[in-house]
Amino acid sequence: MKPNPAIALPLSALCLLISCAGPGAPRSASGTRIDPIALSSAEQTVTQRNIPEELRADYIALYSQGRQNAVLHAMRAGLSALRIGRYDLAKETFDQAIREVEALQEGAEQAKRAKSKFVAEREKWFKGESHERSALYFYRGLIYLNDQDFGNAAACFKRSQIQDITADDQTGFSGDWYGSEIALALASYLNGFPSDADAARQRARTFQSKQGEVPWPSSQTNTLIVVEVGKGPIKYRGGRQGEQLRYSEELPATRQLRISSPAPHLKSAAAENLFFQAITRGDRQVDHILGDKASFKEDTGSATVGLAAGAIVASQVDRSGIAAGVLGLAAIGTAIASAASDPSADIREWDNLPHSIYLLSLNLPDPKTPVQIETLDAGGTVLNTYILADVTDTKKEKRLNIRFLRLKN
Amino acid sequence: MNKPLLSSLLSLPLLISCATAPEPSVRYVDPGAQGTVQTTGIESQDIAMAAQKAAQSIVNIPQITKAPKPPVIIITPVSNRSSSPIDTDLYTTKLRGSLMQYANGKVQFLARDISSELNNKEQKLREKGAVAGASKDGTNRVGATYQYILTADLQGISTASSRGSSDYFLISFKLVDFQDILIWESQYEIKKEGRESGVYR
Repeated sequence: MKPNPAIALPLSALCLLISCAGPGAPRSASGTRIDPIALSSAEQTVTQRNIPEELRADYIALYSQGRQNAVLHAMRAGLSALRIGRYDLAKETFDQAIREVEALQEGAEQAKRAKSKFVAEREKWFKGESHERSALYFYRGLIYLNDQDFGNAAACFKRSQIQDITADDQTGFSGDWYGSEIALALASYLNGFPSDADAARQRARTFQSKQGEVPWPSSQTNTLIVVEVGKGPIKYRGGRQGEQLRYSEELPATRQLRISSPAPHLKSAAAENLFFQAITRGDRQVDHILGDKASFKEDTGSATVGLAAGAIVASQVDRSGIAAGVLGLAAIGTAIASAASDPSADIREWDNLPHSIYLLSLNLPDPKTPVQIETLDAGGTVLNTYILADVTDTKKEKRLNIRFLRLKN
Repeated sequence: MNKPLLSSLLSLPLLISCATAPEPSVRYVDPGAQGTVQTTGIESQDIAMAAQKAAQSIVNIPQITKAPKPPVIIITPVSNRSSSPIDTDLYTTKLRGSLMQYANGKVQFLARDISSELNNKEQKLREKGAVAGASKDGTNRVGATYQYILTADLQGISTASSRGSSDYFLISFKLVDFQDILIWESQYEIKKEGRESGVYR
């Protein structure tokens, strides 16, 4: 039996692909093979830099997966570092991500390549979706606040809002990070610009992203407690060819926080809901690019079926086999084109983001006073109680003390 | 066309896609030149140009040119009110360096932030006689004061759309005397616009 050329050619191509990738080779977040030398070098760097054990995997990924995934891993690693109090690492890592996010890619080879019908979107250098880029600046701003650099903190919170505008959100949802305006107001008060703080509050009044009442900071605020709750928006693919980016939500049980000690007791809704921000991003240019890719894949797939059927008919009618051969070759071509095209949406995600962020601005007469925080469900029932024994930085007295609290649910 | 040739030709794009492009090697670049990374944010050359312009202007004001001896100026850290985070220490250092370069001895700069703590420690050691070759009375160190304060403020307006972003920066330099009188101000404007690739929009 002679090998069918329609099968033999794609098979040879497949063998080449396999030999190129190597079986069992470690893969990057975008699915490409990780260079073993780069991996080994990354492991050495992490050891030499004494990166804490709980951050090692994130930093090895950051150092080994190249620019294609650098921002992704910098976002994840930076946030992990922040949560364990390694502000030095978080700062450096977020700054690396910011440099890449700000580098415009119009005309860049890698961006042009990602538009190709034969290159998956996940092969572009990751910059994140608008809610991820806004969150990057938001967290960097919090670190500036912790460093008492209120000017740069304010700059970051403004930038966080701009990232949301760039996304061309649905009407009424552009530049509506409520948490960024609260944090900007705090930074502005502490930097001696109360009019900027008032302007931030005025803007925030109109935001549909508001989750409920959040006590605003004042010029007397000396403590900020940042509470992160739940898991952030989860990306998945929709559409016939997986060309649509969609989000799912894991709604946390906690819907409100209450400071039950010291007085005055205050209740606060979430300052930011990241799932809401993700799903109000609006239409994206890249959605049209992916839509075109999906149409191409479907059209070439349909053409293959038609041409193959034509080849079979021709082989029965035309004894010389020329027409059947031409149609067969055309079918092979369209089959390869269809198989090689990849319209799937990029679902790499900043996977350790929270669902909601609470910003509790307090004026503690004695910053060493223990703070008791209750988590409340939608009905107002207390779920849990947490006590922060001391919100101060033991190393030096600060105008503003910040504490971070991470709650799974 | 024979089958092996056809097979090779069709497989060629797959082979090409497997190859990884080499990363560019490290190279020296002119710090005053525009960077290859395209961004609408403020960059090192922007602050260098602003500082140069300010320095050239400040040494020509009457309070400096007609002063009997070079006035002492203290430079405060760059204040950032823009929507771009910056390394304020770096920019303050760059500003002072440019002013030193162009002032040509017509003004002196007070560097209390750099030296004061160390000099005070050293004075105590001298008073104790713990270091050789210095007077023990401790009265020989009198820190200098200044006649003028030089401030630098960065302000900005940023706009963005789905197509790209635009940043306008205003760098304002002010020279204020000890009676809080503003005696000189200079401004430097920068505006940048950038387009982002469709795969990120």
